[in-house]
Amino acid sequence: METKQFVVIGIAIALAIAVAAPFLASGNPDGLESAFFSIYEAKPFMGSELDEDAAGAAEEQAVAATGNDFSYEALMPDYSIPGMDKAGEVLAVVIGTLLMLALVFAVARVSARPDN
Amino acid sequence: MHIPDAFIPMGQALVYWVIALIFIALALRWARRSMGEEKIPLVAVLAAGIFAIQALNIPIPWGTSGHMVGAALAAIVLGSPYAGVFVLTLVLLVQGVIFGDGGITVMGANIVNMGVVGGFIGYYGYTAIKRVIGNAYAAAFIAGWASLFISAILCAVELAVAGTFPLALGLTMMGTYHAVIGLIEGGITAVALYLIASARPDILEHPAGVSA
Repeated sequence: METKQFVVIGIAIALAIAVAAPFLASGNPDGLESAFFSIYEAKPFMGSELDEDAAGAAEEQAVAATGNDFSYEALMPDYSIPGMDKAGEVLAVVIGTLLMLALVFAVARVSARPDN
Repeated sequence: MHIPDAFIPMGQALVYWVIALIFIALALRWARRSMGEEKIPLVAVLAAGIFAIQALNIPIPWGTSGHMVGAALAAIVLGSPYAGVFVLTLVLLVQGVIFGDGGITVMGANIVNMGVVGGFIGYYGYTAIKRVIGNAYAAAFIAGWASLFISAILCAVELAVAGTFPLALGLTMMGTYHAVIGLIEGGITAVALYLIASARPDILEHPAGVSA
């Protein structure tokens, strides 16, 4: 397979995953969040019911425990675009994927071994 | 497994940043010495694919989900643990800064856990297991699983030091969830390696032996 063809197919696969992800992705807490909620008694370790109030309180407890109250408003929080629904999520992941492509290409280009 | 800012005190978060920066410097040195210009498009496509697939949370039991990290895959395909560090650092940077996924002050810890541990366990696990059992895809599966599991164990230890998780409970929970999520990591790593090896066996630093 030619490099060009390989790259085009690779980008197509990445974009297909990016478009599908917002529809297919599970909204359940990930492993770290799940462990955190269980430890702070907002969710049973091996159960699925999440107590939203307790989850909110848990986050405050974590800030109180570590003293790290750094907060930062991301441009597209949680892979969404404020004010937009599913279309915004698709757009967010697609933008992220294209941004990754451009950023990594640029950084790799600057840092790669020159072939003289 | 992206740690948010609130989970680690600022001082400790800085220590992980220092460790991360040392590995980032080593990864840049690897790139300058070993990442040829012909690899640039491959690295970029791999990073874009890893970013996209990280957005795909797959449900596991116990009301929980998990997604691939991808450091092991990058390290195996590009033939160096530092490739995992290189790609994951940039993925985590974009995720944290643009999408608020993973904290800013704790980004160093996330780079250490996912990029460094993922890259090193993925790469050395793969080469060692492949030497013993002879099958590249089984080796990629096991190394992918181990890279994710060990990242999660280290994360639990860091959070115990931070005072956020009790050690035993944190290890039990993080270990249990990520033993299952590791199957996702191992499975996608093996399938992606197979696809890349089938399409372009020449770009692999360590031939996977598709024909065998």
